[in-house]
Parts: sequence; C-alpha cells; structure tokens
Amino acid sequence: MFKESNRSHGLESFIAPESEQNSQAQIKVSIQSNVAHINLRGKIKHRPFLEHMETVLDQKLPVKPNTTNFENHSIFWLGPDEWLILCPLSEATKLVKDLQGSGGSMHAAVNDVSGGQIALRLDGNHVRDVLAKGCTLDLHPSVFGQGMCAQSNLAKANVLISMGHEPHAFDLIVRRSFSDYLLHWLKVAAAEYTTEWSES
Amino acid sequence: MLLIKCPWCGARAETEFSYGGEADIKRPEAPDKLSDKEWADYLFMRKNPRGTHRELWNHSQGCRRWFGAERNTVTYQIADIFTLSEDSG
Repeated sequence: MFKESNRSHGLESFIAPESEQNSQAQIKVSIQSNVAHINLRGKIKHRPFLEHMETVLDQKLPVKPNTTNFENHSIFWLGPDEWLILCPLSEATKLVKDLQGSGGSMHAAVNDVSGGQIALRLDGNHVRDVLAKGCTLDLHPSVFGQGMCAQSNLAKANVLISMGHEPHAFDLIVRRSFSDYLLHWLKVAAAEYTTEWSES
Repeated sequence: MLLIKCPWCGARAETEFSYGGEADIKRPEAPDKLSDKEWADYLFMRKNPRGTHRELWNHSQGCRRWFGAERNTVTYQIADIFTLSEDSG
C-alpha cells in the first residue's frame, strides 16, 4: 500500500497489492521508505564531539567495530570515525540541526544522505540462507549475531548488513541506484521460499 | 582468495579490498628542488621485490579506510597488518 507520506523510491513495482499480501510468507521484505539516513563523522578521541553527539542522540555511539546501538535511534558503526544514524523521516531535519550544533570548537561532519540510500528489512528464518548466496561474510549466528553490522558486498553491490531488531530480522542498507538491481537479485535468490514484499 | 584482516573490521574476503601499491613512499619535502631523475624516481620507480613487500590496501567495500600490510609476494602470506598513524580514529 503506497501511503501519501512515503517518499518515492522507484521500487513500487516490487510491492504486491494488499489483497495479494501473504502474512504466512517465509521471508518478508519491507522497504523502509519513512526512514531518514544521517551520516556522522568525527574523531572519538575529540571529547567535545563525542559528548555533544551522545547528548543530542541520548545514547552511546557504537565505537566497537561492526556493532550497532538501537536504544533510541538506530546507529551503525561504519568506520573508526564514521556512523550511520537512522531516524523517522519527520524528525530528520531537527536531528541534523541539533547534531550540527552551534559549531564552536567541535570538529564534525553531519550529512543527511537519505536521498542516496534506502533501508530494507528482511525477516524470516531463511533470510541468512538467501543472503549467504551472494555474500562472502560468515553469517552464522555464532559469528554474526544480534547487534552486529558489516559493510560488504551482496551480489557485488555494496551494502550494509545488520542484525538486531528481532532474532531473524536483517536490515539491509543499499545505495538507491543499486536498489532496483539488488531487489531483482533478491527475488531470484529467494525464489525457493514464499515471500511477501511490502512498504512501511 | 586471500583473507585480509582489516585492522578495524576483521578478516574479510579479498574482493572487499583494493590494492594501493608500495607503502612508505614519502612525498618530497622540497618538490621544486628535485631533478627530473628524482621526480621520476618518486613517481614511477618501485622496488617490486621477490619476498616481503610492505604495501597499502584500502577496505573499499567495507569501512573505506587505508592500512598497510606486509605480504610475501611469493607465498601471498600476510605477516603483518599495520595502521597509518593519522587515521586510527
């Protein structure tokens, strides 16, 4: 169901009409069109940066590589001085402004990159098996469990894969220009399972 | 395929990385005082050793950070991974 408030993403053709939705599907793919993506850069050794960001976000930045923090907003570790923050689209403008702060002695970069990438939520017991078809990461739960994230290649497309919200739910963040290609690949890779494609 | 240990992300497949050539090449401090031969040396001449080679790698499909590796060009064994001083977060 396409809602007025949702941002257009060019992936509408993948979404099945509500009458054809299959809530019993083994794999549920949901396009997260109401989510804003904010890229944050700064050095953690730079105290004013860390203090300001953690006060505004009201949560800790995940400083350990390949980890996430979903306490308030969804924050993903991207690099030793780089993070991705997901928040509701309606809150993005204010959050970016607050994160940027008044400038002063803080050395940081805050950028709204919502226009460049899109988040997908994949839910189901077999999501790992499908992702493993196109990814070199070890996705076994003992290695890649809840709270983990990793930037890697999925079917040659550069993606951020994360596990965390629910036991079998993966978040997949991909560049918009690759999203059409990646969803086509996903459709073929998941052909052996029943799937449901929706938007939220 | 090589399994390369990114200093931040850990062991990842070679396909996630791109090669950056020989490490430890310093830009000349007084470029305008260099002779043509010295410029050519800085720009083009590389050691290309048989055996241990200190080289640069970029985790281009991951955290996109540069780091160094000491790789044996005969066995492909990576003996050491090192970070470049300024980019360690």
